[in-house]
Amino acid sequence: MSENILSVNNLSVSFDYQENFLSKKQKIKAVNNINIKIKKGSFFGLVGESGSGKTTLGRAILGANKISQGNVIFHDDEKDYDLTSITSKEMKEYRKKAQLIFQDPYAALSPRMTVRDIIAEPLEVMKITNSREETDNRVRDIASKCRLNLEHLRRFPHAFSGGQRQRISIARALVSNPKFIVADESVAALDVSIQADILNLLKQLQEELNLTYLFISHDLSVVAHVCDIVAVMYLGHIVEMAPSRELFSNPKHPYTKALLSSIPSIDPENQSKAIELEGEIPSAMNPPSGCVFRTRCPHASQDGSEGTIEMGLREVTPGHWVDQCGVNCGHNQ
Amino acid sequence: MEVSSKKKEAYYTATQMQLVRTRFFGNRSAMIAGSILLFMIVCSLFSGFLSPYDPTIAGRDKDYENGAPQIPMFWDENGFSPRPFLHTLSKYRGKDTNFRWVYKIDTEKRRYVYFFVKGWEYKYFNYKINLPGKALDFTIPGFTFDTHLFGVKEGGIHLFGTDKAGKDLFSRTLSAIYISLAVGTLGVFISFVLSLIIGGISGYYGGWIDSVLQMFTDAIRTVPPIPLFMCLAAFAPLEWSSELRFFFISCLLGLISWPTLARRVRTHLLSERSQEYILAAQMCGASSTHIIIRHLLPSFTSYIIVDLVISFPYMLLSETALSFIGLGLREPVNSLGVLLQNATKADVLLNYQWYFIPVFFLVVLILTFVYVGDGLRDAADPHKTKN
Amino acid sequence: MTHLLEINNLDVRFDTDEGRITAIDNVSLTLDQGKVLGIVGESGSGKSVTAKSIMQLNPGNTIYNDDAEIIIDDENVLKFTSKTDLKKIRGGKVSMIFQEPMASFAPAIKIGNQMVEQLMLHKSMDKKEAKNISIDMLNRVGIADAEKRFNQYAFELSGGMRQRAMIAMALSTMPKLLLADEPTTALDVTIQAQVINLMKDIIQEYNMGVIFITHDLGVIAQVADDVAVMYLGSVVEQGPVNEILKNPMHPYTRGLINALPDINNLDAPLTPIPGNIPSPLDRPSGCVFRTRCPHASQEGKEENVKMCLVEVKPGHWLDKCGVDCGKT
Repeated sequence: MSENILSVNNLSVSFDYQENFLSKKQKIKAVNNINIKIKKGSFFGLVGESGSGKTTLGRAILGANKISQGNVIFHDDEKDYDLTSITSKEMKEYRKKAQLIFQDPYAALSPRMTVRDIIAEPLEVMKITNSREETDNRVRDIASKCRLNLEHLRRFPHAFSGGQRQRISIARALVSNPKFIVADESVAALDVSIQADILNLLKQLQEELNLTYLFISHDLSVVAHVCDIVAVMYLGHIVEMAPSRELFSNPKHPYTKALLSSIPSIDPENQSKAIELEGEIPSAMNPPSGCVFRTRCPHASQDGSEGTIEMGLREVTPGHWVDQCGVNCGHNQ
Repeated sequence: MEVSSKKKEAYYTATQMQLVRTRFFGNRSAMIAGSILLFMIVCSLFSGFLSPYDPTIAGRDKDYENGAPQIPMFWDENGFSPRPFLHTLSKYRGKDTNFRWVYKIDTEKRRYVYFFVKGWEYKYFNYKINLPGKALDFTIPGFTFDTHLFGVKEGGIHLFGTDKAGKDLFSRTLSAIYISLAVGTLGVFISFVLSLIIGGISGYYGGWIDSVLQMFTDAIRTVPPIPLFMCLAAFAPLEWSSELRFFFISCLLGLISWPTLARRVRTHLLSERSQEYILAAQMCGASSTHIIIRHLLPSFTSYIIVDLVISFPYMLLSETALSFIGLGLREPVNSLGVLLQNATKADVLLNYQWYFIPVFFLVVLILTFVYVGDGLRDAADPHKTKN
Repeated sequence: MTHLLEINNLDVRFDTDEGRITAIDNVSLTLDQGKVLGIVGESGSGKSVTAKSIMQLNPGNTIYNDDAEIIIDDENVLKFTSKTDLKKIRGGKVSMIFQEPMASFAPAIKIGNQMVEQLMLHKSMDKKEAKNISIDMLNRVGIADAEKRFNQYAFELSGGMRQRAMIAMALSTMPKLLLADEPTTALDVTIQAQVINLMKDIIQEYNMGVIFITHDLGVIAQVADDVAVMYLGSVVEQGPVNEILKNPMHPYTRGLINALPDINNLDAPLTPIPGNIPSPLDRPSGCVFRTRCPHASQEGKEENVKMCLVEVKPGHWLDKCGVDCGKT
C-alpha cells in the first residue's frame, strides 16, 4: 500500500460568479494546478494569506467543493477513493475517514444543542452506532481524550470559553474515528496561551490515534512549530514546499522570504524592517498572467518576462520544491 | 455581588428557550402587558358566561334604548347594602325634555344584582356544516350553557350602556373582542402556513427558485393593501351567512399579509443556513431533513413566534378597518370594527359617548400585543444591550 | 511635567442579565506625549474596555466608580456630562482606530465626505480646506491615487487600504492622543508589516501619544515604548518594553512569552498556560491569576491579596502578589 494517505494531482477548483441575474457569468479559479502528496502520519502545513485558496483546497479535498480539473485520491488501507468519480456509497465511507475542524469556535457549534449532542451528531448522521448507550460511550471516550470535563457534557456551548469550544469541535471531528483531519485555521481565533494548548492536544491526538493532519493557517510561526512539511500558497498556486525546518531556515521564493520577514519579532532590539511588498493582493477574479506574484515581487524584471512563464514546482534540493519563476529568477540563494 | 454557583450552573445548562423565557419574565412592561392581554383573552373566551345579555338583536332591551351605562352601587342615600344594586329607570317623554326620550331614576326602588343567574343560552363548538347535497348537512351539537356571572331580576343591567336598538354594549364588546381575536388568529395562521411554505422553500434552496419566488412575493407586496382588501371584500355576496363571511375575511387577511412574514422566514433561513455548524453537519453527510428538523427549525422558532405576535396587531387593525367601512364583518356579527362603525355619527358624539368604550378596548388590545411582541423580540435577541 | 493621559483607579463594571461583571479593576496608567504605550492581553483582559472608557464609548449598562479619574490635558473625562464636552475628546483631542475598518466607515457615504465632515466638525475650517487636508493625509498613509480614493466608498477598498484610510481619517484632526484597538489583527501578515511601518513613521512625525492595544507581543515589541500587561481586568506588570520582554517577572507575562511559537527556535516546546481564562462571571477574588499560576500556594493565601502595582526596579512595576511570591 502506498505510504501516502492523500494524492492531489493537478487539482483546480473554479467558482462561478455572477453579480446579479443579468450580468455575465465569470469564473474564479480559486485553486490552480496543485500537486501534493501527503504521507501517512504527517502533519502537513498549508500557509497563505487571504485569497490564496488554502481553505478552498482543504474543502475540496473533503468533497465540500466541486473539483473542476485534476483529481484527489485518498489512499485508505483497503481501497482508494477518487473524489472525482466517487459514488455516494463511497462518499459515506469517505466522510467517516476524513473530517474537518472549523476555525471559528463560536460559529461552529449549534447554540441549541448540548455538547453531548453536538459530539454525537456525526455518529447519528452517519449511523455509526446502533444504540444510545453505544453513542454515549463513544462520546465520553473521545471527550476525555480531548480533555473535556465529562460533567460538562450536558451544558450548552454558551457556557464555554473559546479554547474549550475548540476542543468540542475537535472531539466532534474525531468521534467517527477518521484517519485524516483537515484543520482549517483551527487556532486562529484563540488566545495565544490557549493556542499552545490546542496545538499540543492535536499533536498528542496524532500519536494516540494515528492521524494525518492537513493544517491550514496564515500564521507562519504556528505552522513552523507543529508541521513537518509546509507548502506556501499565493493566489491559488503553491509557490514553495519543503520540510518545515528547511523552509524556515532556507526560504527560496521571494514571497516566502517576504512572509517570513513580516513576522514581527518579539525581540525589541530586532527592529529590522520587513521586506515590504508593494501593492495589494490582486483579486482572484483577475489574477496576473504567468507568475501570479510578479506584480509584487521585488525581483520582477523590467521586461515583464514573468508574464508569460508557466508556473509549476521544481525540486531544487531533495524535498525542497520551488515554483519555476523563483528558480529562474536566480535571486533565490 | 457575585453570582451564586447554582445560578451559574443553571445558566450553563439552560436551553435557548429557557434563556428567552427568563429574559422575558424580567421585562416588566412586557409582563404587565402580557397579563392584561391574557386577562382580555380569557374574558373573551368566557364572553358568554360574562355577558348578561345576548349580544345579538335577540337580547335587546326594548325599554332601555340608547341608555347610559349603569354602574352597580353599594351605597345610596337609603343606606348601605352588601349586595350591589341598581336604581329603577322609567322612560319618560314630555314637554320639558323637548319630547326626547329620557330615563328617570327612581331611587326608591332598588334592583339587586345577583350572581350566577340563569339567562340566555350560549353554545360552544356548535357548528352547522352545509355541504353540497342535502344529505350531507349535519350539525355538531356542542355544549350549551345558560349560566351567567351576574344579572338582575327586573329591568336590565347595562354596564356599558346600550345602543340604538337596546343591545347591551358590555355583552357586545366582549363578543366583539372574541370575534376580532378569532379572525386575527385565523388570519395569522393562514399567513403563517403560506409564508412558511413559500419563504421556507425560497430560503432553503436559494438560487433561481429563490429569485422567482421573491419576485412573486414582491409583486404581491407592492399592491396597496387597503384597496386590495376593498376589492376582494366587495366580491363577497351579500347572501353569505355570517360564519362564511367570517371565514372569508380571515382568509383575505391571511392571503394579503403573508408576503411580509415570508420575507422574514426567508431571511432567517438564509442567515441560519450559512452558519458553520450547518456546514459541519452537511460534511458528515446529513440529509436535508435532518438539517431542517435538527438545526433550522429550532433556530428560528423563537424568531417566528415573535414575528407572529407582532403581526397580530396588523391583522386586528386591518379587520377593524374593513369592518369599519362596511366591507368586513357586518351586523349581526359583532367585531370591534362593527362597533366602531356605530360610533361615527354626530348624534353619538354629542349625546351617547359610551359608544366609544369599545375603542378603548381596541387600543388596549393592540398596545398589549405590541408590548408583548417587543418584549419577546428583546428576549430572543442575544445581542441586545441594556440601556 | 503633566502627562498627556492619566488614568487613576479606574473600575468598570457592567450590569448584565447574568449579574454584575467586573471588566476593569483598579487600573492606573499614564502616557506622555510622543510615546507609545502598548496594552497587551488576551480575551477578557479589559484592554478594549479601557480604550473605550477614555472615549466614553462603553454601552449604557456601564458603571464607573466615583473616585476614578481619566485626565486628558488636565480635564477629567469621567466628569463630562454634556455632549459638547464629549465632542472635544471624541475626534478632537483623541482619535480612535479600530480592528475592523468597516466599523469606522459608514457604508453608504463616500470616504472623502466622511473625512471632511469630521474635520469640519472638530476644526473650524471650510469644505475646500478640509478636502485638501484629507487628500494630503490619504497620500501620507501611502494610498496611491488619493484623489480617486477620496471619492470612493469603503467597500471599494481592500482591507489594507481601508485600514490605512481609517488611520488617515483618525490623524487628519491632528489628535494629541491616538487609541489604536487591535488595528492590525484582521490584516494579512504582509499588509500588517506595511501598516506597522506606516504607523511608526507617523507617530514619530506627529509626536502623538499612542495607546496601542493588541494581543500580539511581536507587534508590541516593534511599536511600543512601554507596555502594560493586563489579565482579567487588572494590570499585572508594566514597564519599558525592552525590560518587560527581556526580564518578565510576573508568571502570566512569562507564560505568555513562553507560549509563543518562536520562529527562531523551532525546537522549543510550546508551553501553554495551564487552565482556562475564567469567565468574567467567575472572576477570582484576590489575585486574579491565582487559578492558573504555577506558583500558587496550597493554602490559597492569594485569595485575600489586594492587587496593586509595586515598583520593583526603576520604571518596572509588578503586581503585589508577584512581589510577595518571591519566586519571580
